[in-house]
Amino acid sequence: MASRFGMAAGIPERRIRPIWEAVDSRQFKNALKLTTALLTKYPNSPYVMSLKALIMERMGKPEEALSLCLNAKEGLSSDNAVLSDDHTLSTIQTVCQRLGRLDIATSCYEYACGKVSNNLELMMGLFNCYVRERSFVKQQQTAIKMYKLGGEERFLLWAVCSIQLQVFCGTGIGGEKLLLLAEGLLKKHIASHSLHEPEALLVYISVMEQQAKYNNALQILSGELGSLLVIEVDRLRIQGRLLARACDYPAAAEIFKKVLESCPDDWECFLDYIGCLLEDDSRWCGGTVDKQIHPLKFVDCKLSHLSEEVFDLRISEALCFVQKLHSETDAEFIRCPYLANLEIERRKRLYGKGEDKLMEAFLNYFSRFGHLGCFTSDVEMFLQVLTNNEELELIGKLIRINASQSNVPVKALEGLITISKIQEWFGNMFKLPLDGLEETNVRRAELYCQNLSLSKDLDPQETMHGEELLCMACNVLVQLFWRTRQLGYLLEAIMVLEFGLSIRRFIWQYKILLVHLYSHFSAFPLAYEWYKALDIKNILLETVSHHIVPQMLLSPLWVDLSDLLKGYLSFMDEHFAESADLTFLAYRHRNYSKVIEFVQFKDQLQHSHQYLMARLESPILQLKQKANNIEEVECVLDSLNSGIQLLELSSEESCKSLTFNDDMQSRPWWTPTPDINYLLGPFDENAVCGLRENSSQQEQTKKREANARKVIERRSLLPRLIHLSIQCASLLKDNAEANDTLSDGKNLELKALLERYARSIGFPFSDAVDVIVGISSGQVSFEILGSDVIDWMNFAVFLNAWKLGSHEPSLPDGDGCKPGSWHIVDRVIEKYTQEQLRNMQPVISSPGIDLTVLVQIVSEPLAWHSLVIQSCVRTSPPSGKKKKKSEPADQLSAPLIQAISSSIQSSCGTIGGIIKLLEEQINHPEDDKLDTLLSPLQRAGCTQGPGQIIQILEATSSSAGLGSDRISEAMRSWSAVDVARKIIAAQKTTLSEFHPTPVKRLCKTHN
Amino acid sequence: MTTIRRFCCNDLLRFTPVNFDHLTETFNMSFYMTYMARWPDYFHVAEGPGNRIMGYIMGKVEGQGESWHGHVTAVTVAPEYRRQKLAKKLMNLLEDISDKIDKAYFVDLFVRASNIPAIKMYEKLGYVIYRRVLRYYSGEEDGLDMRKALSRDVEKKSIIPLKRPVTPDELEYD
Repeated sequence: MASRFGMAAGIPERRIRPIWEAVDSRQFKNALKLTTALLTKYPNSPYVMSLKALIMERMGKPEEALSLCLNAKEGLSSDNAVLSDDHTLSTIQTVCQRLGRLDIATSCYEYACGKVSNNLELMMGLFNCYVRERSFVKQQQTAIKMYKLGGEERFLLWAVCSIQLQVFCGTGIGGEKLLLLAEGLLKKHIASHSLHEPEALLVYISVMEQQAKYNNALQILSGELGSLLVIEVDRLRIQGRLLARACDYPAAAEIFKKVLESCPDDWECFLDYIGCLLEDDSRWCGGTVDKQIHPLKFVDCKLSHLSEEVFDLRISEALCFVQKLHSETDAEFIRCPYLANLEIERRKRLYGKGEDKLMEAFLNYFSRFGHLGCFTSDVEMFLQVLTNNEELELIGKLIRINASQSNVPVKALEGLITISKIQEWFGNMFKLPLDGLEETNVRRAELYCQNLSLSKDLDPQETMHGEELLCMACNVLVQLFWRTRQLGYLLEAIMVLEFGLSIRRFIWQYKILLVHLYSHFSAFPLAYEWYKALDIKNILLETVSHHIVPQMLLSPLWVDLSDLLKGYLSFMDEHFAESADLTFLAYRHRNYSKVIEFVQFKDQLQHSHQYLMARLESPILQLKQKANNIEEVECVLDSLNSGIQLLELSSEESCKSLTFNDDMQSRPWWTPTPDINYLLGPFDENAVCGLRENSSQQEQTKKREANARKVIERRSLLPRLIHLSIQCASLLKDNAEANDTLSDGKNLELKALLERYARSIGFPFSDAVDVIVGISSGQVSFEILGSDVIDWMNFAVFLNAWKLGSHEPSLPDGDGCKPGSWHIVDRVIEKYTQEQLRNMQPVISSPGIDLTVLVQIVSEPLAWHSLVIQSCVRTSPPSGKKKKKSEPADQLSAPLIQAISSSIQSSCGTIGGIIKLLEEQINHPEDDKLDTLLSPLQRAGCTQGPGQIIQILEATSSSAGLGSDRISEAMRSWSAVDVARKIIAAQKTTLSEFHPTPVKRLCKTHN
Repeated sequence: MTTIRRFCCNDLLRFTPVNFDHLTETFNMSFYMTYMARWPDYFHVAEGPGNRIMGYIMGKVEGQGESWHGHVTAVTVAPEYRRQKLAKKLMNLLEDISDKIDKAYFVDLFVRASNIPAIKMYEKLGYVIYRRVLRYYSGEEDGLDMRKALSRDVEKKSIIPLKRPVTPDELEYD
């Protein structure tokens, strides 16, 4: 605060302080008044001008702020006194940053540094400007200048970091020379001044490591400088890593052994140790050890290069060492030495040793840690190497061990849960016959209820014993629904989770499952409500939004979708805006390794596929919302530079470097990625078998990423296609020769984009045209379009717009006057919609029903087509006076008017059919709906089919009687009927929100 | 099975399962990054097999003279990794750094007065209630300022409990 005041640019503190106080308390009007008064006294003061600029920017007047900034900048050149204090410059900098005009601030600092030489404060300001601009070369040059002033270590390190950033984030050209320069600078400095900061040493080592000079790095570490690292194991870890990279495996293994002796629970270190012992470079050959955000759980290893004799020797050495760790570490919770046995046995098996003791190691680990919640995730990578027979054997043995150890009820319960989780992991549930599956599920529900009392005295905030059982019950119920298509199972899955949440409302696993189940059941408001209950904010928006955004993009809840997208984008943009300042903070606090990390992290987020999608979908949503008014659509398009802005987002380079930061682990089994929902297809055991194996996960990830790239390209074309379609349609007049050049230009661009659009659906342009023509004439079935059907309809719409202004021959069923393409659009949309409407069941009885397809038909192809029509019928006489909007264009040819008219009629017919369906469902009596939902569950005494789990839960709730504990009270408050009513209400809201308004105006025009 | 290492930016993309927990606050980015930029030795993460994040601790060192102390801003452990004394391990690490590297006098932390399980845990770890801070949490709930003396505070002066509660504006640091 103090630095802001004082005699700022010759103005006394008492005049400046009230202005800043008003700004800080957001009283901008008052601040402006004070500043204006001050400006009359100091009319030429760049500082006061910059203050006024700051206030104007905060008041939402960016243009005035910018002009004041430029005036202040001008003032700087005539007032050298102002330059030497940082007040004016830093204020200009703040405003420019908010205005997105970093260049102005930079040029101010550049000018100041040129005028006032050797002022460290100003040079640091300039360095900061270059950090904001990501100008690594200029950063380096400025830092070197600062270093030369006083030989300070920190400025040298600033320069070295800037060099490293050029190598990490640059093209890779000249990297070697740059690193050599960094090394030279450091060596020279060390020779005269040595190094004094541990972080400086880490940078020095990393510069050597980047050049693969591992032995030199080792020498540095073992020399005097090594003592800068106070914590011994930190030094050892680096030493081990360098030795391993230098392929000196025996020495590296010895070092990792030392680390393990003092940190016996360090699993990563054990993997380093065993890798080095077996001369396996898998952990080191990839450069950095762990570049992936979500690395695969399987630990890669290479073993075949060792002779059997050597292998045996090394393994027995490892076993011996692990045995020693066992005997020296008696702490109850040290898991690593026990899991180490499993890893050793796994390596034996992978090497092909017949007599491994993997099973024994499993059982030992279970006996000791089977009650821990993390048991299954600890052993996941070992489960992958078991044969089917061993899987069965293992389960049987675990059950026996658990039964023999079950003196403590909590531990027995936890052991059983672990066994169930392992069964789930194996995918055993998908192999069971239906009755066996139901039986298992009933047992789990009973187990849950029987053990509720164990949690009676727990704090309500604490995790209850057995909570996982309800997740498992839900998973099985969803599977039963998939296999039998009985609605009751799906409803029961929802009820089970709602029951669990009424007992303890903090269980995020239940909430996520509900988000997906409600989405599948067209109860989007409830899905969104539970998503909100997860309290997702800040960085979790990047990792967790995939649970809701993909469904919401297809739902009619546009207001909520808009909130989601806006919230996410503003979080990301805010971070991008402040990231450079945080990087500078790391520079100032001499935490150089964080500097590089921060810059790379910003890149990671900036290339996020989700961020790119949100930047595309947010304006597309606006276009959808405004589609009934062409003028409003044009306003939106203007703000997007007629769609060009979004087109640039999907450049080949940005698509190549896409990042996928979302956390897929928390997704339910039936939708492992947003693109997959097994429940939409028939039961297929093979589809889900091995779902948790690395190979299938890798494949899924690859598919997802490839698909995301295509979708991003396709969506980025959309706004420009809409703009060009409107343009082509509006230039459509019989006497339009004057517009020919313009028209041709637009038309050529539209065709080029259509070719790209077709490619992104997987077809060359001419083939895509053939498909669309074939579908409209009934010669080709819709099935060929697969899940891209909406994109195909969009294609037909834009194809028609292109045809309107094209000199190319009309499409096959045209009559030479170009209306053929109108007919094609009408037929494609009409036919597909009718087919959907014919097959559509009420949402209440048909989970997974494709209501969202109808939403998309209305909000995309029909809406875009309506814009083309609006553009055609809108006329603007040469005088510029507008005619009535509803009046059809008198310059259009008769066949064209006829085609447009029948197209309007067709759209109205399509919309009419959808409205009828919606109204029938909205107006259907609630009691009937309630009956549809509840009757499958209300089958007293049933021993098979849906309803059994609910019966167990209800029986427990009623036996809770008048118990006054928290759990009994919560159970009494739960009601299946209430849940059913909530679903009905949410579905009704979904249906009501789906107002097919975009073409209503057209229908009016037509009538 | 705990590899404890410095928290890095990518961990922000990997700590989701830990932060789903309703008692774990997800702060804004500048908060995490300021801690990483200024006190990287006070921000550690514990990783289990499969590179799963088990929990993390964030803190800082601040103060003047005999108030020079380590501060625990947040410590959290994912539910499946609880009851393994991981929080203790993380706390000990921060205490060690405060004690041996930064030569601080004590370590302190704030806890909701209603969070009895946490208070009990900190007491087991050697922390005492130094003072009550009235309406510390969003102007509603009281907070307890708990402290543990380090070796530099030979006479354990830093942990002699205050006799009266204080208000948030009386606190020396945020």
